[in-house]
Amino acid sequence: MLRTPPRRAVLLAAGALIVALAACDSGDPDDDAGKDLAGNRAGAMAQYKVGDQFTATEPLSFSILYNNHPNYPLNENWLMWTELTKRTNVKLEPVAVPLSDYEQKRSLLIGAGDAPFIIPKTYHPQENTFVSSGAILPVSDYIDLMPNLKDKIAKWSMKPEMDSLRQADGKYYLLPGLHEKAWQDYSIAMRTDVLQQLGLQVPKTWDDLYTVLKAMKAAHPDTYPFSDRFSKPTPGGNLLNIVTKSYGTYGGWDYQHATWNESAKKYEYTGATPQYKQAVEYLHKLVSEGLLDPESFTQTDDAARQKLATGKSFVISSNAQNIVNDYRPDLAKTIPNATIAKIPLPIGPAGEINPATRTENGVMISRKARDSKNFVAMMQFIDWLFYSDAGQEFAKWGVEGVTYTKDASGKRTLTPDVNVIGLNPKGTKHLQKDFGFYNGVFAYGGNLELVQSFFSPEEMEFQKVLNARKTFVLPPPYPFTDEEREQATLWETPLKDHVTQNTLRFILGQRPLSEWDAYVSELKAKNSNQYMDLVNKAYERFKKNNG
Amino acid sequence: MVTVERDSTTRADRLLRAARPRGITPTRGYRVFQGVNAVILTAVVVVTLYPFVNIVARSFSDQTEIIAGRVNLWPRGFNLTAYRLVMSDPMFWTNYRNTVVYTVVATAIAMVLTVCYAYVLSKPHVRGRPVLVGMAVVTMVFPPGLIPQYVLVTSLGLKNTIWAIVLPGAINVFNLLVMKSFFESLPVELEEAAAVDGLNTYGVLLRIVLPLSKAMVATMVLFYAVSFWNSWFTAFLYIDRLDLFPVTVYLRNLIAGATGAGNMGGTSDAVQSAATLQAVTIVLTVLPILFVYPFIQRYFVSGVMLGAVKG
Repeated sequence: MLRTPPRRAVLLAAGALIVALAACDSGDPDDDAGKDLAGNRAGAMAQYKVGDQFTATEPLSFSILYNNHPNYPLNENWLMWTELTKRTNVKLEPVAVPLSDYEQKRSLLIGAGDAPFIIPKTYHPQENTFVSSGAILPVSDYIDLMPNLKDKIAKWSMKPEMDSLRQADGKYYLLPGLHEKAWQDYSIAMRTDVLQQLGLQVPKTWDDLYTVLKAMKAAHPDTYPFSDRFSKPTPGGNLLNIVTKSYGTYGGWDYQHATWNESAKKYEYTGATPQYKQAVEYLHKLVSEGLLDPESFTQTDDAARQKLATGKSFVISSNAQNIVNDYRPDLAKTIPNATIAKIPLPIGPAGEINPATRTENGVMISRKARDSKNFVAMMQFIDWLFYSDAGQEFAKWGVEGVTYTKDASGKRTLTPDVNVIGLNPKGTKHLQKDFGFYNGVFAYGGNLELVQSFFSPEEMEFQKVLNARKTFVLPPPYPFTDEEREQATLWETPLKDHVTQNTLRFILGQRPLSEWDAYVSELKAKNSNQYMDLVNKAYERFKKNNG
Repeated sequence: MVTVERDSTTRADRLLRAARPRGITPTRGYRVFQGVNAVILTAVVVVTLYPFVNIVARSFSDQTEIIAGRVNLWPRGFNLTAYRLVMSDPMFWTNYRNTVVYTVVATAIAMVLTVCYAYVLSKPHVRGRPVLVGMAVVTMVFPPGLIPQYVLVTSLGLKNTIWAIVLPGAINVFNLLVMKSFFESLPVELEEAAAVDGLNTYGVLLRIVLPLSKAMVATMVLFYAVSFWNSWFTAFLYIDRLDLFPVTVYLRNLIAGATGAGNMGGTSDAVQSAATLQAVTIVLTVLPILFVYPFIQRYFVSGVMLGAVKG
C-alpha cells in the first residue's frame, strides 16, 4: 500500500537546489564578520566555563530537528523537556520528523532554507552535501564559545578525529559525538553450547573461526554453520565491514574508496588493494566449503534469524542488543537449552586492533542561527547539553532521585520502577517512552564510564577485551574542494557498484579469483586511477596548508 | 440509472451466450483453453491473496512463532496482545482520524475541481481550450521540483494545516483527461434539449450530465480516495506535528523504524512485538479502504472501460 518515493530523485533535486543556492551565496558577507559577536549575546552567560551549569539569563527558545523514533514517540510532556527548561532556561521547539525518512526531510528543509537552528543526528560525511550551499555554519570558527567541547578534545587528544571532519577550507561543519574510548559494538555471535558439545574453544582469529566452522560442518553436514544478517540494503554490511577491517581496509557498511598505505605514504583504491583481495579470498573459502551460507549476502534479517532459531545455523552477526533482544528470546522458544554469546571481534592480519572510531553522529547548525541575537547563548547551550559531563549524564540517565540514584562511589542505579533495555524488567515506567531520556537525539558519546554505564556484565567483558587492543589509527584527511567533490561523486557510484557486484561474485564463486587482475583493470577503466590522483592531491594540499 | 445497469448485465449475458452457443458442445481446444485459464487465474489469485492472508495471520500470532517461520495461512499461538497494544496508542487513533478526514475532504475537493475542469475542457466551443488542456498536461510532463513546491506551500502558509495535504494533489491530470473524454462521449443533444428547457450551464452539469456519469464519478471517487488514503509523502513533507500526521506516516515509521539497524535503545518488549505490531497496523490501515472496493466495483468496471474505448 505504501509507495516509496523516488528517493534518489528527491536527493538529486535537493542537491541541485543547493548548488543553485550556492551560486547566489557567493560573496558571503558573514565570513568577514565571523568573530564579532557583540550583537549576538542576548541571554548568554558572561562567564561560562567547564563545570558550569548553563542557564540563559532570559527565557529562550531554539528550534531543533527531531528524529522521531517509533519505539519512543515524541511526547511534549516528557520530564526531559521540563527539566531541561528548568535547568537551562531554554525551551526546545522540536520539528518532528519520522525516523524512517529523516535524511530526506533534512535535505529538503536545508535546501528550502527552512531548517531549524539545531540539526542533530547527522553522520559524517553527510554534512559534505550541504557545505557548498552555505546553509550550514562552519562551527570550527566558534568553538571558543564551547569550553566543554574544547576541553574534551584536548583531554582525550581528539585532534586527529576532528581533523578528519575538516573540509577543503580547513573548517569543520559538524559537531560530532565524542567518545573517550572507541566503542566497537558489532561482532559475531555464536552458539556456545554447540562449541562445548564439539569441545571447541571460542575462536580468536578469523582462521580459528574457519577451523570452528569446519568442525561444526563436520558434525552437522546438512547445515550452513554461518548464515548472516545485516545484508539490507548493503550486502554483507557487517560481515564485510569487520572482515575487511581486520585485513586493514574497508568494506560493507563502511566501504571507503581510499585506503591509506602507511609505507608508501599515499592513498590506494580500496577495492584493488591486496588486503581487500585477501579478505575476499577468505570469505570465498568459507562459501566454497559450505561453511558460510551463500544467501548471507542477500537474505533479510528475519530469514537469517529464522535459520538461527531453528538450528539451521550457529553463527551470525550481532551487536550487544541483538543478543538480548533477538537471538536469546528466539532460541528460548525453539531450542530451550541453547546458549549464545557475542564473541570478541576475531583478529586478522591487521593485528589486534579496535576498528571503531571515537566520533559518532553529531550536530549541524544552520547558518542563519549566526544572525540570531541569541547565537552565543545557543552555542553555550549546545555545549552544555551535548558536551558537558552534567549534560551528558542528564541526557542519558535523567534526573537524580527521579529516574536514578547515585551511591557514595558514584555508581548510578535506575530507580526501581524505571526500566530501560531490560535493566529493570519489573519497572513499570520506561526511561525512554515515559521520561524522554536516553534519547537517540540527545544522548551519545561521553567518557568511558558513562558510555558503559548501561552495559551488561557480559558486554563489559567484551569491551574490556577490545579496549585492550590498539585503537584504529585514523588516516590523514583529504578534504575535497567543491569542484573535486562534484567530480569524485560522478566517479564514486559506478566504482562502488562495480566493487560491490564483483566482491559478491568472487565470494560466491560466480567469478573465479584468477580474474582478479582483470577486475582491477575494469576498475581503472572506471577511473579509479584518476580518482586516486584526486584523493592524493587533496591529501597533499591539506598537509601543506595545515601542517 | 438502474436501467443502464440492467442493460449492461443483459449485454454481458448476451456476449457470454454468443461465446458458448447453447446446444453445441464446446470444442476440445476451447475446453483446454478454459482449463489453462482457470489454472493460471487461480495461481494469480493465490499469489495476490497469500501476502494479505499471511499478514492477517501474523497479526494474530505469537511473535516467536513468526520468527521461527511457522506462520503461513493460519495464526499460531493465537493472541490479541498486538491488537490491544496498537489500539491503546492514542496517537494511532489520532492519526487514523486524520487519515479519514483528509481522505474525505481531499476527495470532495478533488471531485469538484476535476469535474468542473473536465466539463469545461469537453466543450469544443470554449475559446482557449487547447491552452487549458496544455496547462494541465504540462504538469504531467514537467512535474514541479520538490523544493520549489515545498517553498510554495510553505510561503502560502499551508504548512501544518490540512490544506497542505488536500490542495496540492487536488487535480490529477490523468483522471482529468479520462473524465474529459467521457464527457465528450455524452450526446450533445441531451444538453441542448436541457438548455432549451431553460437550464443554465450549471444546471446542465448538475442535473443532466452528472446523473448520467455515475459510473465515471464512482470510478474517480475510488481512484482519488484510494490514492489519498495511501499517500504519506505529502504529509511527510508539509507536516511537522505528530498529531496532524495521517496513519500512513505512523505505519511507515513503525515498519521502517523497527527494522532499521543502528538505532540505539530498542527496548526488549518493543522490539519483541515489532513483527506482530507491523502486521496489526497494516491490517487496520488497509481494511477500511478495502471495504470500499466491493461497493464501487460494479461502477468501476464500466467506468474505466468507457474512458478507454473513447481514448
